[in-house]
Amino acid sequence: MSLTLPSPVIQAGAEPFLFRRGRVGCLLIHGFTAAPQEMVRLGAHLANHGYTALGVRLAGHGTTLDDLARTRWPDWLASAQDGLDRLRGLCDRVVVLGLSMGGMLSILLAAETPLTGLVLMSTPTLVPPNRLRPFLRPLSPIYSRIPKGPPDWFDPSVAVERIAYNAYPTRSMAEVIDLIEISRAALPRVHAPALIVHSLNDAFVVPANAETLLAEIGAKDKRLLLVEGSNHLVTLDAARETVFDAARAFVRRVAGPPR
Amino acid sequence: MSVILPRGEAFLYPGGPVGCLVVHGFTGAPAEMRWFGQQLAKAGYSVVGVRLFAHATRPEDMFRARPQDWVASVEDGYHLLRGLSEHVVVMGLSLGGILSLHFASRRPVRGVVAMSVPYVLMAPWRRRLRPFFPALSKVMPFFDKGAPDWYDPHVAEDHLEYPRHPVRAVASLVDVHAEMLRRLPLITAPVLMMSSHGDATAPPWHSQAMFDRLQTADKQLVLFERGGHVITRDVERQRVADTAAAFVRRVTGWPKSTVRTGRSR
Repeated sequence: MSLTLPSPVIQAGAEPFLFRRGRVGCLLIHGFTAAPQEMVRLGAHLANHGYTALGVRLAGHGTTLDDLARTRWPDWLASAQDGLDRLRGLCDRVVVLGLSMGGMLSILLAAETPLTGLVLMSTPTLVPPNRLRPFLRPLSPIYSRIPKGPPDWFDPSVAVERIAYNAYPTRSMAEVIDLIEISRAALPRVHAPALIVHSLNDAFVVPANAETLLAEIGAKDKRLLLVEGSNHLVTLDAARETVFDAARAFVRRVAGPPR
Repeated sequence: MSVILPRGEAFLYPGGPVGCLVVHGFTGAPAEMRWFGQQLAKAGYSVVGVRLFAHATRPEDMFRARPQDWVASVEDGYHLLRGLSEHVVVMGLSLGGILSLHFASRRPVRGVVAMSVPYVLMAPWRRRLRPFFPALSKVMPFFDKGAPDWYDPHVAEDHLEYPRHPVRAVASLVDVHAEMLRRLPLITAPVLMMSSHGDATAPPWHSQAMFDRLQTADKQLVLFERGGHVITRDVERQRVADTAAAFVRRVTGWPKSTVRTGRSR
């Protein structure tokens, strides 16, 4: 049996990133089926303002869909924690910023360890009603992938550089749905200051998710920023500059100016 | 809930423009490379310690580990280290050494340090059963490890590793090892191999056999009289770390002069 791995295994452009600046650090966590590329503009924005930025690649992402289908949610959480453990080697204050599933992983990190702040973007808290849910795991060997819906960009130009799988592995979708419940259950244990960002136009994870998040998170210092003119991917779509500015202002408020 | 075992965490030490990527072994954890990494950091190098996929979490996670997952873990570490350092020397123990050599056959690195790397993973008759490992793993998920070969009983006490070998992951190990052996002649970077006579898994003749297959112009083999498989922690750990640091300095020319003593004791 002969093995020939692609070289490199990680797709071009899907690599994790580290912009080294000062002692205040930002950990950036991308979403399901995506790649660090989804967070790199936000990371560069924060780095341009003097903050160290590290963007993790979650296990099974940025390689092949079959690799993702083999992973489970604790693998993704472990990847996020790897990033945090490494960033702590550079920074004494860390703000974690997560998009969508990255937001759920940020919640689990924050429930476990003290963080300086938390930016939760487009993060689901409500499990969409789906009668197929109990059948996802048993179905996954036969019906292995779920197609994605049509694109809904306000700024279609960003689709060109986007790196993401073109479908969801059925097996991992079952993991994501579990993770929604697991991360929601952890919300009362999250005490770090939190900025919640959601797009009013998010048709994929509707804004009601952000209302639940705001209501149930244990943090006293919590704010909800609703943006307009963006799809689910608020770090990429047309409202991104508003999101970047809000994230930077939040980091500065909770962690102080760059040092 | 922390999914990573205590002391199993990946690590990063910032330093100069030359970086060392350090990779642990099969069923091991970053803990077995941490002290070694700290010595390189004291010598002024930036250091990133990899946690390989499915390691330092739960042994059952290894059932799902494939060669590309481990190679991707090393690539992740490389890209993060590049955020600290322009030049990279990749170094690893056992499976970490396999992955380091494999990486160096595909990417430009300034050097490779391969420690306690096995040439023969198992008896040939067992090796021929490789196609049946995935099926076998369903009925026999684990098999026992051999007797430990530590010389320093003190460090053996707190060694962090999975207690048994996951059969499915051994199949992945066999595959990536075979590809590494095929790619050995493609490596052009300087290579340092280290091995110890007390190693029950990869005795010095293993390193010698791979050393002979290397085509790179700059290759060096250092054998230690004492010590077992985990040479980064066993009795010769200081000489192992010093030899690695001296190699990095020789192949990168950095730092130009010794400005730090680099030794704590």
